[in-house]
Amino acid sequence: MSDLDYAGFRAEVRAWMQAHLRGEFEPLRACGGLGDSRYDPKLAKRWEQELARGGWVGVGWPKEHGGRALPLSQQVVFHEEYVRAGGPGRLGHIGETLLAPTVMAFGTPAQQRRFLPGILAGTEYWAQGYSEPNAGSDLANVQTRARLEGDTWIIDGQKTWTSWAHESDWIFVVARCEPGSQRHHGLVMLLVPLRQKGVTIRPIRQITGDSEFNEVFFDGARTEGELHLGAPGEGWKVAMALLGFERGVSTLGQQAGFEREMACLIEVARRNGVARDPVMRQRIAQAAVTLDALRCNALRVLAQDDAAAGGVPVSREAYIAKYVWSNWRRDFGRLAADVLGAAATLPDDDPLAQQLRQVWLFSRSDTIYAGTNEIQLNLIAERALGMPR
Amino acid sequence: MDLRLTEEQRQIADSIGQLLAHASDSAGMRRAAFEHGGFDASLWAQLGELGACGVHIAEAHGGLGLGATELVLVAEEFGRRLACVPWLESVVLAGTTLAALGDDRVAAHWLPPLASGEQIVTLDIGLAPGAPLSVRREGADLRIDGVLPAVPAALAARSLLLPVPDGNERRLMAIGLDAPGVLRRARENHDATRPVAEVSLQNVRVRSDECLAHGAALERALARGRLLAAAVLASELVGVAQQCLDLTVAHLAQRVQFGKPLATFQALKHRCATMMVAVELARSAVLGAARTFDAQPDDARLLRPATMARCLADEAAQYCTQEAIQLHGGVGFTWEFDPHLYFKRAQAARAWFGTPGTWREQLAASLLDEVAA
Repeated sequence: MSDLDYAGFRAEVRAWMQAHLRGEFEPLRACGGLGDSRYDPKLAKRWEQELARGGWVGVGWPKEHGGRALPLSQQVVFHEEYVRAGGPGRLGHIGETLLAPTVMAFGTPAQQRRFLPGILAGTEYWAQGYSEPNAGSDLANVQTRARLEGDTWIIDGQKTWTSWAHESDWIFVVARCEPGSQRHHGLVMLLVPLRQKGVTIRPIRQITGDSEFNEVFFDGARTEGELHLGAPGEGWKVAMALLGFERGVSTLGQQAGFEREMACLIEVARRNGVARDPVMRQRIAQAAVTLDALRCNALRVLAQDDAAAGGVPVSREAYIAKYVWSNWRRDFGRLAADVLGAAATLPDDDPLAQQLRQVWLFSRSDTIYAGTNEIQLNLIAERALGMPR
Repeated sequence: MDLRLTEEQRQIADSIGQLLAHASDSAGMRRAAFEHGGFDASLWAQLGELGACGVHIAEAHGGLGLGATELVLVAEEFGRRLACVPWLESVVLAGTTLAALGDDRVAAHWLPPLASGEQIVTLDIGLAPGAPLSVRREGADLRIDGVLPAVPAALAARSLLLPVPDGNERRLMAIGLDAPGVLRRARENHDATRPVAEVSLQNVRVRSDECLAHGAALERALARGRLLAAAVLASELVGVAQQCLDLTVAHLAQRVQFGKPLATFQALKHRCATMMVAVELARSAVLGAARTFDAQPDDARLLRPATMARCLADEAAQYCTQEAIQLHGGVGFTWEFDPHLYFKRAQAARAWFGTPGTWREQLAASLLDEVAA
């Protein structure tokens, strides 16, 4: 496939976006989503429903689950055009791209019938309950407990860094269901409603000043006895499979978002004269070509996935993906701040400058969440290079 | 853009890789570099038989008719083994330039012997600044005087393609390197695997009607050759970086200190992981650039992918060669161990086809400067 392929489909996405991302949705244009202070979650949910009506949620899902079953390469085109058209960060991302594929792979038919339609319609939102105060990089140290009482799971414990819990309806929780079990044994993946008495959500203030993630306390929280994904005791397998879905087509949408940020930086640099500084010119060019290389790397990963569905060991380019994009963006954040000069720390009304300030601060989280730099390097050394543990 | 490789593409790279692993292993490469002036004639002959000298040359001219993707896959193997052959110079640079002239007569004359490996052709890429050539017209002849201080592969090559100023354009002349008045002298070279020679031209006579091309067609072909050669050089550098990573991981696995293999220390594992990050990202850049070349957009759209490949591979090679020396410890500074040979290649390559900084500045101009109305 060349960049020219799917020309008709590209035009279709572009035309739809142009016709729908307007009017009441105008304020969402080019909003980053997670961590962007301009992002109005109520409006973002209506936007998700608008997308759903257009058939743009679950484009890669199989038809039997209400999706469009588009091939990977065409999904990529959708994500790219979506972002290029100014489409905002997707509030439904966790449900659509993480939970749903896991429900399809491990869920019962009843679970699939119950949860997939709400995700597909943009009416039910999901949060991810993995990290705990003592289980960050060391996720297998999960302490949250779950016990079955009659036909009800009772959950006690605490999750943290839970993005969008305050705007979500459900949370998938990794909990210890076999008392005394160790590490990755004896865990269960539970689907738990967030709006209940036993759940307390407390926002955590981030270095941006906003609160996009939360602490979530479970104090005798309840969920139905059949709402475990996969067998109790095998939660680790399900939890890891879910993370596997994280490396996927959305990385290309994210890539298109970075390209938008790059265009924004170039615009600011041209406007304020930084574009004439020879050292900054070198840095900007280097950032631009490294961004292009990230895209090539993502396409290489996707080509692998496309070619060899399942059972194939993770390729080397897949091992480096998270490390390279997150470090690129952190460096880019620093470059953005340098392009802004004093305006990096002295906010003004310029919306472009506002976006760059947001990137400067928010990019500091990229190298931490979803596996820190240090964990990524461990994985690369031990799994990709085969160095001893 | 689809970055999947076909079975045939993998096979081509594998077959060259296997040949080089045997014929240009450390001992073989060192023999060619230090005892045979950096040219392994028997390896070159074997490559010719395998078709490696005609990878991207049209089938009509005796090549395999493949594209940039196959070129970069093969180039990585050359870089990995520091193979002492003028493949980049003759096949990639001269071959691409000659083909890009778009002149069937020129192609039919020059490409078949180049594609078989019988004829090695080189181009002056301006590695070292020299005084401008003096060119006089003598009837139908041109008389050329001057010194080209650093011409790659000039000792192994039979012909030198030389753009010669004539009025307000340039003409591409072919100089026989054993012709009267041509003097070649090998330059001392820290990168002994890629020899460079000084070429003096004393009243060298060429017939002006034997000009291969001139004016805009020539400049376009030279630009195309340089762009593709820069991307292919980048792939060689990925091979350089990969080999340094492999040597380092192997060394750390067998070297025991403090009672355990060095490979068990997290500080060192992270260093190797960071090397792999650089290698794989550069490889992705090179493959992506090659795909763009194969889609054959106009040259203006090749600047960015060529810059990407050039800059990312430069970084990977600089970083991995430095780390290989460091992580080998004391032996990394010895002549006996290989990292220094790769380190020298990585540095030498920076001057080829424009430094990474020059490429970046060119790209910056296209990104940041107002287009003149």
